[in-house]
Amino acid sequence: MAAWQAWSVMALAAGVAAWLFFLKVRPPRVNVASLLLWRKVLDQQREMSWWERIRRAVSLVATVLVALALAIAVARPGPRASAASAGRLLIVLDSSWSMLARTSSGDTRWSRAVAGARALAASAGSDAVAIATTADGLVEGPTTDSALVETALDRLRPSGGEGAAWPHVGGTDQVHFFTDGAVGRQLASDVVVHSVYEAAPNVAITALGVRPAATGQSSAEAYLEVANYSPDPQTVTLTVTRGTAVVFGQPVEMAAGEAVRQVIPLGDAGDPRIRASVSAAADALDADDEAVGWLPEAEGLAVTVVSADPGPLGLLLSRAPGVTPTFVAPGAYDPAAGHPDVLVFDRWVPAEAPTRPAMVVASPIAAPWLGTLGDEERTPHWVQNAPHPVLAGVDPLTIDIKRARAIRQDALGPIASSEAGTPLVSVRETGGQRLVVMGFAPGESNLAYAAAFPVLMGNVLEWLGRPALDSPRRPGPMLLPSSATRVVGPDGRPADLRTAGDHRLAMLDQPGLYRVEFGTAHGVVEVNVGSSDVSNLGRTTLPADVTSSAAGLTGAGRPWWLYAVLFALVLAAVEWWTWLRRITV
Amino acid sequence: MALRFEDDFLKKLEYLHVVSRKAFAGQNRADRLARKRGRGLEFADYRQYAPGDDFRHIDWKVYRRLGRLLLRLFDEEQDLPIYLFIDNSRSMSEDAKFDQARRVAAGLCYIGLAHLDRVSILPFRGSLGDETVPGRGKGRIFKVFEMLEGLQAGGETDLREAFKQFASRSRQQGLAVVISDFLDPRGFENGLKILASMGHDVFVVHVASTHDRDPGALGEARFVDLETGETRDIEVTPALAEAYAQAWTRHAEDLERFCGRYNLGYLRADAEAPFDEIILKTFRKGRFLA
Repeated sequence: MAAWQAWSVMALAAGVAAWLFFLKVRPPRVNVASLLLWRKVLDQQREMSWWERIRRAVSLVATVLVALALAIAVARPGPRASAASAGRLLIVLDSSWSMLARTSSGDTRWSRAVAGARALAASAGSDAVAIATTADGLVEGPTTDSALVETALDRLRPSGGEGAAWPHVGGTDQVHFFTDGAVGRQLASDVVVHSVYEAAPNVAITALGVRPAATGQSSAEAYLEVANYSPDPQTVTLTVTRGTAVVFGQPVEMAAGEAVRQVIPLGDAGDPRIRASVSAAADALDADDEAVGWLPEAEGLAVTVVSADPGPLGLLLSRAPGVTPTFVAPGAYDPAAGHPDVLVFDRWVPAEAPTRPAMVVASPIAAPWLGTLGDEERTPHWVQNAPHPVLAGVDPLTIDIKRARAIRQDALGPIASSEAGTPLVSVRETGGQRLVVMGFAPGESNLAYAAAFPVLMGNVLEWLGRPALDSPRRPGPMLLPSSATRVVGPDGRPADLRTAGDHRLAMLDQPGLYRVEFGTAHGVVEVNVGSSDVSNLGRTTLPADVTSSAAGLTGAGRPWWLYAVLFALVLAAVEWWTWLRRITV
Repeated sequence: MALRFEDDFLKKLEYLHVVSRKAFAGQNRADRLARKRGRGLEFADYRQYAPGDDFRHIDWKVYRRLGRLLLRLFDEEQDLPIYLFIDNSRSMSEDAKFDQARRVAAGLCYIGLAHLDRVSILPFRGSLGDETVPGRGKGRIFKVFEMLEGLQAGGETDLREAFKQFASRSRQQGLAVVISDFLDPRGFENGLKILASMGHDVFVVHVASTHDRDPGALGEARFVDLETGETRDIEVTPALAEAYAQAWTRHAEDLERFCGRYNLGYLRADAEAPFDEIILKTFRKGRFLA
């Protein structure tokens, strides 16, 4: 509603209320024997008290105030109302997690921002309005349909997006940005910034890392970093659980601004899910009070090695942490037996393609599913074609290959070849099925003794069975390899997964553990909110002149018009009560 | 309204008689001692015989002993003229009030008739209405009932005009009982003064109802004067209601004070009070009945 409309409504309401006040309602008739005594009484009553003199005026003022408050609540005029009514309007909401911080009035920065956006959109009148967030970009409009804008504002929630690009909508005349300034952004000069910032104390887990142990006391450890972004010292309770078992729980006295770092040893066996939480008295943001970690080694990797003589391969897999190898002779291989995470065919391949991720080592024969055998090359010189996770950290200079045989197939992509072009290591990734083919055997090289051997095998097993993903990470969209087939969120429901060119784009909006499936293989992504940027609610990147601008627009706390309605109700109740007792007219 | 009394109650009424603080000369022999000597049974005095005296009252024994003609005098018991004025103006139209007034009139009338007093019922409002003289003897009470039942309330009150009309005719002095709410816009004083100045023994029976004393519900109301039809919109606050109640109390006190000053009897007959209690207790306590 435009400003002039709002003020007109209020003036009309006040006028109608006053008119109704003065409107004579026919009083009930009371027959009396005589007005003689009433005349005497009323003559005496001419000497009225000061309250008798003003009580009618008080009632009139109260009536007009009730009408005005209700009219204000309906019309909701705002100080910026006229500023926004000059063309197409883009309203951008900062969807950083820090916007969920509670303010002193009990509401959140986000609710303030939404209230401000709502007021701004309402003031746009007939101009088109577009709604966008920093995480999702444009979510509605441009439209003149206020219902669509209201619906969009109702459904929006903070979901991170600290690194997302600034939303652009063509043809906008004004851009308004509601933010707390927790995340610094380069904004165009014509963007009107409305601050919803209000300093708030907070305690957060700013880092949780689960990693192999640096010492030999345990196989893994969790690294926990907790910060007290509060102006006062307070007791913070740290709790770390593994699955459902509490592995660490301790209250910690933390000074103002202090960060505590804690390393918690984790045993060999146990649940791979690690969850850390903090609690404190002064804590304005809940989203960063929990963090999750994943210990892949604890999940275990079942590897079936089909080999007549595993040799050094068998020795390596037997000693690899988290790997459970099963050795099967080629004659005893049953494709339907068991469900290993990874199959390793050592110098032998079955006739049928395996249904599990597989590694083929120096196949002496061809198979239709594998490809054709090429020529054998003597002492090939290793050349890495392109960076690939399988070859990450593998030093080719330490590998001396006596001979290699090429296996060629269109779908097989060589990631390491000889200078003559013989594929040494090839990978295939089709329909979620991963395959690694080595053109040479450990016995036909010094691989078994080279430092690169455990690195290469570790990479292969991880890429096949436990694809490593960019983790931990913040909530937001995540680019995944095109072989990703499904992403399951922390709540057990599939996350939104879209194809974006050569990749898949998954929306990891909420913190927690996400299981990313690549056919039969899967990886886990840890998504956590806490960071020094998001969790430090006592600072803002906004300049001082805009830090309180939204307060006037949105009103502090709950939507201000609720207070107007409340005021009207209370005043009406008081007026009713006093009227019943004839205190007022 | 049916003005019928229970037999028991009538019996009780028969034992009562209206007390007049003055002795008046009556016209007929009755139960009441008159000022003049006459043909009563109780010896009073002697006086010298004069021609024209009834020689039957000469005391011959005294004549024989003293040789003087002395006449024996007796106290004469005569009837008492009772004038019952009943207000039938619009202000009395409230059922409870008017019924109470009529019941009081009927009760007093019965007592008077039972003692062979000469009762006149005079309804009044802005002027004096038709006088009803039922006759003598308690058997005439039904005529009184009939008359009172047919009485309708209406018109404005004007005590002065009504009593002026009453005074314009020569009447034997007697007991004047005025039954009214005394809500006369012109004031009750002038009317009562006229009545008192005629030498009557005046008794004021002030009939009032809760409606008169209390304005009732609070709030904005249009008050209508039943007599004049005048309306007045009044916002009745608790303070105003209290002031009205005080004004009514003052009005009643003024009336009582006026009666005291002019030696008039004053009795209150609240409309809500039981009638027999008014007659048997209140009126006796006020020495109006004995």
